[in-house]
Amino acid sequence: MSKPADLVQGTLDLLILKILALEPQHGWAIAQRITQMSGDVLRVGQSALYPALHKLEQQGWIRAEWKTSENNRRAKYYSLTLAGRKFLTREAAQWQRLAAAISLIVTHA
Amino acid sequence: MPHLLQQFHLRLRSIFRRDLVDHELDDELQFHLSRLIDQEIARGLPPQEARYSALRLMGPIAQNQEVCRDMRQVNWIEDLQQDLRYTVRTLCRNPIFSIVAVVALALGIGVNTAMYSVAYGMLFRPLPYAEPDRVAVVYMNYSPRDFRFGTMCMRDYLLWKDNNHVFENPSIFRNQSMDIGGSEGLPEQVDGAAVTAGFFSTIGATPLIGRGFVPGDDKPTADKIAVLSETLWRRRYGSDPAVLGRTITVNGGPVTVIGVMPAAVKFPRTSVEVWTNLPLVPPTRYGPWFYRGVARLKPGIGMPQAQAELATIANLMMQENPYYKRLEFPVLMLRDALVGTSMKSALLALTGAVGLVLLIAVVNVANLMLARAAVRRREIAVRLSLGAGRGRLVRQLLTESVLLAGLGGLAGLGVAWWCIRLIRVWNPGNFPMIQFIQLDGGAVAFMAAVSVLAGIMFGLAPALQGARTDLSQTLRESGSASGGSSGSRSVRAVLVVSEIAISLMLLVGAGLLLRSFANLHRVTAGFTKPPRQMLSMLISPSKEKSQDVRTGLAFDNELLRRARGIPGVESAALTDSIPPNQQGDADTFVLDGQELGPGEMNPVITLGTVTPEFFSTMGIPLVRGRYFDDHDLPDSAPVALVSEAFARRYFPGQDAVGKRIKQSGPGFGDNWMQIVGVVGNVKYMGLTMDTAMAYYMPLAQSYSPRIYLVVSTSGDASLVAERLRAEIQSLDPTLTLAQVETIEQSMDQSVSRPRFNAMLLGLFAGIALVLAAVGIYGLVAYWVAQRTREIGVRMALGAGPADVIRMVAGQGAMLAGFGIGIGLAGALALTRVLQALLFGVSVRDVATFALAPLGMILVVLLATLIPAIRATRVSPVAALRCE
Repeated sequence: MSKPADLVQGTLDLLILKILALEPQHGWAIAQRITQMSGDVLRVGQSALYPALHKLEQQGWIRAEWKTSENNRRAKYYSLTLAGRKFLTREAAQWQRLAAAISLIVTHA
Repeated sequence: MPHLLQQFHLRLRSIFRRDLVDHELDDELQFHLSRLIDQEIARGLPPQEARYSALRLMGPIAQNQEVCRDMRQVNWIEDLQQDLRYTVRTLCRNPIFSIVAVVALALGIGVNTAMYSVAYGMLFRPLPYAEPDRVAVVYMNYSPRDFRFGTMCMRDYLLWKDNNHVFENPSIFRNQSMDIGGSEGLPEQVDGAAVTAGFFSTIGATPLIGRGFVPGDDKPTADKIAVLSETLWRRRYGSDPAVLGRTITVNGGPVTVIGVMPAAVKFPRTSVEVWTNLPLVPPTRYGPWFYRGVARLKPGIGMPQAQAELATIANLMMQENPYYKRLEFPVLMLRDALVGTSMKSALLALTGAVGLVLLIAVVNVANLMLARAAVRRREIAVRLSLGAGRGRLVRQLLTESVLLAGLGGLAGLGVAWWCIRLIRVWNPGNFPMIQFIQLDGGAVAFMAAVSVLAGIMFGLAPALQGARTDLSQTLRESGSASGGSSGSRSVRAVLVVSEIAISLMLLVGAGLLLRSFANLHRVTAGFTKPPRQMLSMLISPSKEKSQDVRTGLAFDNELLRRARGIPGVESAALTDSIPPNQQGDADTFVLDGQELGPGEMNPVITLGTVTPEFFSTMGIPLVRGRYFDDHDLPDSAPVALVSEAFARRYFPGQDAVGKRIKQSGPGFGDNWMQIVGVVGNVKYMGLTMDTAMAYYMPLAQSYSPRIYLVVSTSGDASLVAERLRAEIQSLDPTLTLAQVETIEQSMDQSVSRPRFNAMLLGLFAGIALVLAAVGIYGLVAYWVAQRTREIGVRMALGAGPADVIRMVAGQGAMLAGFGIGIGLAGALALTRVLQALLFGVSVRDVATFALAPLGMILVVLLATLIPAIRATRVSPVAALRCE
């Protein structure tokens, strides 16, 4: 299981925001999505996920509401705020530049 | 914006709905867990197994909840709550420590808050006048009079006014006792002032009803009009607005009331209750010097410019009148004139003193905290090892000290309230602006600020020290004896030494004031009759009874006859001067045959007008010649008496009796008087003044209707007051009786201010001493507790109780030695501020500087002795076993 330290600092935030940009989700589903979409490479445990969610909520990028989940239980659903959407665009662009730069060095050097 | 609102909402929710938020977090994690269990079941595990596996995968949940809370950034508030709860528990667990600390702080903060109220009331509270910082009071000082805050005469005023460019509308005023008569009640005497037309507009006072004085009201032909104070209006005229336009009797003549001033207007004196218009009758000569000036600086003009112009005018005056030498116009701003210069230095000294008291309190509590921090080192080490952050720990310890200080501050408000009441009760009567002194919002804010500051001051050292705790070492140390590294002990020793030093400084200051006060009590005013066996009262007969010298003297003789007829009265006399501080008149003089250079003058000295029995009534000794007697009448040869000091100064080695003297203020005629006797020196200008030169004229040859009656009695003089009053009023029902008091009372009043200062500083020094004693006791007792084992060993090896006491007392003596040395040096430097308040004592008074340290040593010994004796009771066996 990947610990948050294995992810580049701030990357988890970006992943969460990206996933929530598709549709509102609860914590469990977010973790599942990250695993799926990364082709089983990245795994996020609750010990990293929930503090990150609470921090993002505190910062105002996401908001939470209680809804009934697909298996008929109450779950806390997070969704992107308007500010969060803008933040995501900015951060994603930033990430792409960074990743491209790193891969340039890694492949050619 | 909605972004910020959301954040704010979340933050509030986290703080105030904490249980709800925690509950939600719990639910959220439970949901996650249930999904994890579902997943494990889907992998084919039985439900129970699936649950265990899921819990394993989840990891530590409680810790995670804490991290989530941290993310919400509200932990500091929760920490605070936690710290507060913890602090309250700790404080309750050590009630003695808590009470001592809170009481010490309450005393320190309380006296400071009280002093703040006093100083603010006197020095900063806005005056009830318009733009008071432009109002200046102008005095005149010249030789031969040499009285710095002295008076000018009408001519001086007119010359000043004609040459003035810096002030708007200079005015003058004269303090006067005013007899208020009329049909509305018994005649009474109040303090009043005669003022020129611009007076009220100059000080910027607006009347409650009616009007103030307006230009033209001081013309020589103007009608006599008066403005009443609100207090007089309410007391005597029942707050009746119809008083406007009414004619009342002031000093025997009709005066029309034109206005009422609010009670807050208290200029020129705190006690003023009536202002009358002062007609500017063109003077024919210099004098009388009755007036002081008050004027408003023109906009944009500063004090230096005003002073420069006044200096020019002073030169002009000296050219016009060679009688004036070294003439100057001292100027005070309105507030300084109201507060008075000696009051300012007293305020300075007392403020310094309470500052020192607070310092001692803070040092004391810091000391207690350090002692406790040492005891709590294990607790702190345990908390550190369990993962408490050092910053968090410092915060916890600071929370404790600030909470203590806050409690101390709250209790201090009570102390301050009590102090202010005490000041009001002790009020030496002439305390200026006492009505301005109150415990208000400003004082509470001051208290709060001082408390927080004090809390941080005494909390920081122990907190930092606690956080520096070396974990492994502390935990390895054995339980009971652990504590106090040598570093912390030396810090505490320094604190106690500074406590001793500061207390000693206060002790020296209080000692000086007490000695000065005792000196004042020893001073004799020059009479031998016991003060409590004498009574005086001011008598102002009606116009009818005093219309000319003949009827006036006949009335006076009848008055004296009746007074002597009252049982208990031994002797009665009339006088315009009464020791210790009622000087009737002051004037210069010329001696027959004395060579004076052009413009040269004899000094202005006391001139008393008395009836023959005055000296025997008060017991003022006759040195040579004779007293006045009943043959010194208006048409007999003019006679005079002089004081011993006068005779010694002007007739050294000769007999003053037989010489001739003349009253010689400018404009006096050729009235030579024969000196028939020399009498003892008497103080008329207050006990602290040493000018005892005086000359006297008989009342019969220098008649004045308003005069004091002095009687001496065989017993308590106050007992005859009522009989005397009734007897005199039956003689003339419209006469005004005022200032009825025994000489003991007036003596007492003249020392009330020094007594007040001495008592206050004494109180502060007492508080400081108690605090210091507690501090010393605490340190030594702690030292003994730490050395229980060592003492036990020594006693087991044969040390006797005396050796143990010597060892413990040696600790105290060392501290005392350092403290006293530093304290004496500090006192030598600081007591200089007391200079202006001392009488007959040098600021380096040897007795005080010797006795105060002795007292200090005594206190230190007492504080050390208790733990020392306890140390001798240590049982060697128990001591050795206690590890």
